[in-house]
Amino acid sequence: MILAWKDTVKKIKEIIEKAPVCYCVDYDIPAEEGVSEALLTISGKTFVARANISKIEEYSKGSECLKKRKDGLKTCIKIESIEEIQDDVVNYEEFTGGSIEKIESYAFIIHKEEAKIELKESFEEKLEKEVKEIIKKAENKGVPLPVKIAQKISDAKKKYGIGDKDLDKLIDATIEKYKETTVDPYEAVGIVGAQSIGEPGTQMTMRTFHFAGIAEMDVTLGLPRLIEIVDARKTPSTPSMTIYLNEKVKENEDKAISLARSIESTNLLDISDIEVNTTESFIRIFLDKQKLEERGLKKEEVIAKLRKMRMQKATIQEEGYELKITLEEPSFKKLYQLYEALKVYQIKGLDGIKRAIVKFDQKAKEWVIYTQGSNLAGVMELKDVDFTRTRTNDIIEISQVLGVEAARMAIIEESISTLQNAGLNTDIRHLMLVADMMTFDGNVEAIGRHGISGKKASVLARAAFEITSKHLLNAGLIGEVDKLNGVAENIIVGQPITLGTGAIKLMYKRGD
Amino acid sequence: MKVEVSKGISEIKFGLLSPDEIRKMSAVKVITPDTYDDDGFPIEKGLMDPAMGVIEPGMKCKTCGGKVDQCPGHFGHIELAMPVLHIGFIKEIYSILGSTCSNCGRIKLTDDRINEYKKKIEEVKNKLHDIDYDDIVSDAESEASDVVICPHCHFENKKISLDKPTTFREEGKKLTPKEIRERFEKIPDDDLILLGMDPLVARPEWMILTVFPVPPVNVRPTITLETGERSEDDLTHKLVDVIRINQRLRENRDQGSPQLIIEDLWDLLQYHITTYFDNQTPGTPPARHRSGRSLKTLVQRLKGKEGRFRSNLSGKRVNFSARTVISPEPFLSINQVGVPVRAARELTVTETVTEHNMERMKEMIRRGPGNDDPAVYYPGVNYVYRRDGSRIKVSEKNAKDVAEKIEVGWQVERQLQDGDIVLFNRQPSLHRMSMMAHEVKVLPYRTFRFNLAVCTPYNADFDGDEMNLHVLQSQEARAEAEILMKVQENFLSPRFGGPIMGAIHDHITALFLLTYRNPLIPVDMGMHILSYVDIKEMPPVVEEDGKRYYHGRDIFSTILPEGVNIEFKGKLNDKNLDPEGTEGIVKIENSKLINGAIDENAIGQSKGVLLDYVIRKFGNARGAVFLNDLTRLAAGTISYIGFSTGIDDEDVPHEAKMQLREVGKDSVSKVEKLIENYRNGLIGPEPGKTLEDTLESMIMKVLSQAREKSSEIASHYLGMENSTVIMARSGARANMMNLAQMAGIIGQQSIRGQRQHRGYTNRTLPHFKKGDIGAYARGFVTSSYKEGLNPTEYFFHATGGREGLVDTAVRTSRSGYMQRRLINALEDLKVSEERKVLDTEDSVIQMIYGEDATDPSRSFAGESVDIDYIVKETFGKKYGGVKK
Repeated sequence: MILAWKDTVKKIKEIIEKAPVCYCVDYDIPAEEGVSEALLTISGKTFVARANISKIEEYSKGSECLKKRKDGLKTCIKIESIEEIQDDVVNYEEFTGGSIEKIESYAFIIHKEEAKIELKESFEEKLEKEVKEIIKKAENKGVPLPVKIAQKISDAKKKYGIGDKDLDKLIDATIEKYKETTVDPYEAVGIVGAQSIGEPGTQMTMRTFHFAGIAEMDVTLGLPRLIEIVDARKTPSTPSMTIYLNEKVKENEDKAISLARSIESTNLLDISDIEVNTTESFIRIFLDKQKLEERGLKKEEVIAKLRKMRMQKATIQEEGYELKITLEEPSFKKLYQLYEALKVYQIKGLDGIKRAIVKFDQKAKEWVIYTQGSNLAGVMELKDVDFTRTRTNDIIEISQVLGVEAARMAIIEESISTLQNAGLNTDIRHLMLVADMMTFDGNVEAIGRHGISGKKASVLARAAFEITSKHLLNAGLIGEVDKLNGVAENIIVGQPITLGTGAIKLMYKRGD
Repeated sequence: MKVEVSKGISEIKFGLLSPDEIRKMSAVKVITPDTYDDDGFPIEKGLMDPAMGVIEPGMKCKTCGGKVDQCPGHFGHIELAMPVLHIGFIKEIYSILGSTCSNCGRIKLTDDRINEYKKKIEEVKNKLHDIDYDDIVSDAESEASDVVICPHCHFENKKISLDKPTTFREEGKKLTPKEIRERFEKIPDDDLILLGMDPLVARPEWMILTVFPVPPVNVRPTITLETGERSEDDLTHKLVDVIRINQRLRENRDQGSPQLIIEDLWDLLQYHITTYFDNQTPGTPPARHRSGRSLKTLVQRLKGKEGRFRSNLSGKRVNFSARTVISPEPFLSINQVGVPVRAARELTVTETVTEHNMERMKEMIRRGPGNDDPAVYYPGVNYVYRRDGSRIKVSEKNAKDVAEKIEVGWQVERQLQDGDIVLFNRQPSLHRMSMMAHEVKVLPYRTFRFNLAVCTPYNADFDGDEMNLHVLQSQEARAEAEILMKVQENFLSPRFGGPIMGAIHDHITALFLLTYRNPLIPVDMGMHILSYVDIKEMPPVVEEDGKRYYHGRDIFSTILPEGVNIEFKGKLNDKNLDPEGTEGIVKIENSKLINGAIDENAIGQSKGVLLDYVIRKFGNARGAVFLNDLTRLAAGTISYIGFSTGIDDEDVPHEAKMQLREVGKDSVSKVEKLIENYRNGLIGPEPGKTLEDTLESMIMKVLSQAREKSSEIASHYLGMENSTVIMARSGARANMMNLAQMAGIIGQQSIRGQRQHRGYTNRTLPHFKKGDIGAYARGFVTSSYKEGLNPTEYFFHATGGREGLVDTAVRTSRSGYMQRRLINALEDLKVSEERKVLDTEDSVIQMIYGEDATDPSRSFAGESVDIDYIVKETFGKKYGGVKK
């Protein structure tokens, strides 16, 4: 068991200075849990200090100790020693694992068991025994057989009931066929891939389609979407998420609806009208009862949330559904600043999620949340969400949250589903190549002058693509050398290109 | 032993020209701003000085003595009175000014920092980092530009600002190019690397011009119009300006004119030199021709689609090519192309005379260039080359003499003959099948012709399309084209690993008619049909009512290769369409079609299962033969059976008409009811929708159901005796929905997926009442194409059609650009011998191509191996008992 709480830098410094010290928190910690360690955070993302705890007891007034806050204190803990965590900053997510509430202002207990990192089986270990054997057999014959094919052989064996003797024959025959389908060395796979994606582009529609009968949930499809993927735009024109729920709650409609409501980002302006009274220097907020209900909010919640808002010293007065905010020191400028801040003040929900709708998936028999707007990191942290299946169409966001490899997969899947939606059949290998090219240097890079084409090694190739003069002038300054390894450069100087038959530099040596 | 090695360029190094270099390479110092004198001769030391090359035939170059086609042209130069900034380097000049000390010329960084940066640059060059050199330079420059007091000489530097486009100021005081140049001269070579320059090829002061290179005349030729008037190139015009102002500036400077005048002239010179380089510099008004057209100067020549790079360097003009209109010819093999005699006489293949072909060559030369009569086409010869490369034009007169003269080693430009390998291409060349190799077949008339199955890969039709043809000139090229590019080698598309070619339109209809319900074809007719194809064995004759027949399916079976055993589902595999199961399931046993009708699913392009099977099992060559036979048999069949469609194909009985009318009325009233309910507040919003959207989607649902119902009615009353239905059912063209629109109800016309709603205030057209949101008012069409549309319907239909047109227009340009970018990004990738994917720097993009090293064009619809097929092939029927 580990204890964790959030505090200010100042407080943490104070504890470090004074340790050993008694410290009071506003959270009930049963003494029998046997907590001996605590982690402190200032941001809710990483822990900055680790404390050894020797004693936990109920808080009683008058005891000499540091206080987390002024009132509502419940437990007093004795911190024996405390050290700053620097080298290996303990990641907040590592402990939370998406299963515990966010550290708000109180302390709480996290179960260390949950913080364990489970080693997943490696891909190879996961394979069936027979598949492994087939791969080994093929390897002995000098052919590294892809797992997919070995799996097929093994499946065929089961399906047709092939005996062990014939299995060898089958493997041999398969290897033969596999060799026949292998690509030729020096094949211009890049060009073929680009053509295979570009050519069906002419057959696609430009329209934005309505999404499965849900209004106001347009999803860009067709050619614009494909261009968007290839462009590696910062944000897609219609970001959206499909959120799946955990095994336990996926059939529970109420849970799904309440979850959907809770993630919908709601600004103060969404649920109220705000009016500034400049003569008497106050702001009046008219809460809309109906809108509150629609969003599943209560008046009290809104007020509580407003109280938490970091604002100038101000008082909130309640008059039914009207709230009056008065500044302690009247200032015209500050009033307006407050007004601007209030307008976009988020009462609840996750940033970026404009709308969340719940739908029942007939096939999988589960409730699924579809959202307009995307916030992958936020959604993955939610308790009831099955984040292994949850997805977003924002590729850049995926690369930031889950890394490039995930972004690569996202590019492949998004692009192939866009093509298939348009009824076009394109081999996945072409899309894999594009995705690999886009992600190969560790970031998602666009196809075009700002991305891959602008970073080519050859001056001539860059000049031939776009912004000709800039590349040529700059090449002169740094004394760039064009090695003429690519296709475009060699065409420019009038030599055979370096692909296909042009890649081979064999010359016939004439005898006497 | 002598080894012949052809020349090649292995690398190109870029750099700046130093003033000395410009002077050194200059053939003449240009001082006169004039071009030609009154007699039309170029003026000495003028812009057209013959020392800079020749442009008129017959003249000789003063520098190299070469004629027009031999002299490469020579640069001249202008000595500038005052230095001038080079517009392409303004940004660099600015950042160097900011980051170096104006007193000592060093970078305003401590030696430690400089060394750190140098170390980093060294590491980048050795590829230890994945940062760009440019980024380090900009880091260093921005760090240095923040320093005020130079760490080397402790001089207090002033802030420098840039007044675009070309004026530098130091705390408001103008910095002349001369002063900048003096500062730059002080920068030591060692510091240059941090400023993004290589001291071996460039010095910062070279970015400020003191000597101005004048390009050779063949870069800016004079054009003589028909009227004898001479017209100078834009560059020459600009150079005239430069020289003129330069002269005035020099005179004024030497006379000691007031500073103001000198500065004005200096600025003017700067303007002319700026526009000489780039006439689209932001902040500078473009220099214009007298007519008002802006001049095309250096950058404009290089830039963009029509610029030197994309238009002349990346795309080149070729010889030995032809272009004409295309038309169909079902009697040609898919591997052939029909070339008109006129083109064949013009296009040539160069053959070297050897002992072995001497006689053949002589005979061809004797024929001379020949005439246009297709009846007597034998390849002649247009030119003969002697061993020294000199050319003899063969004419009717000298043909016999030339034929006698030829020796071994001479080259003969022979006209095209049947069987030559040529490349055939249609733009836009969107995929590699847009350019394939064909065998020539010289034909009469004036169009290129080819088999209809090849329309699909080229995306060609015959409404006036033109195509290009290129004759290959070397043995290597021919061999390569034949092995890699021939039509039959491109059956399977690399896009999806299936056949891209196949029967289309009438071919499908014809073979469908031949096999649907296995018709009895009278023997005489069957013979005619079979005469179209080359077969070994006649189909069995059946006798009925004393008459002799062939079965249609037997006729089809004659073109199948031996050993075809396959069973698959056809398009008719539906209980309603084929209750007895004799048509929907295609079954071929021992190359005999015993069940099912041949349709799109069997032989169609990209879907044809049978075609795919034949190509994969029997190879490309047999596949080509099968496809040839297919098209010929289809042509024969449809010529004898006959097939046509007309407006009466859409006639439906009165009963059906009534039903259709009912459907139309019904749905309109249903919509009205929905609207009424909505107005009375009886409809609640669906989750996540507004009330209006809910209503709208309900209406859309009702109306699309109407069209479906009309489709049902139409297909119920229109049976397989109907030509249009045959086409739709067999997959030759159109579908049942098109039919329903012709015979029944056209349906909702939508814009952007919504009902029509734009137009006048609260209504789409003045024919409706305001606020009417009923079916008719929002673009529902209850008429059929055959009946005709009423005016409002017609209007809505046109709006819907317009959307489609706009969509296509936008799409082609957008997807074209996307494809250009994709190709540019991926063009350099290649597969290594270990099946890795590498780029030009040999970085590994993929460890194994496509994760399984399978070529998509050899794959089985994307799968690397077809395991069921392998099991069947290796073990025969041993494991055949298990169903899929």
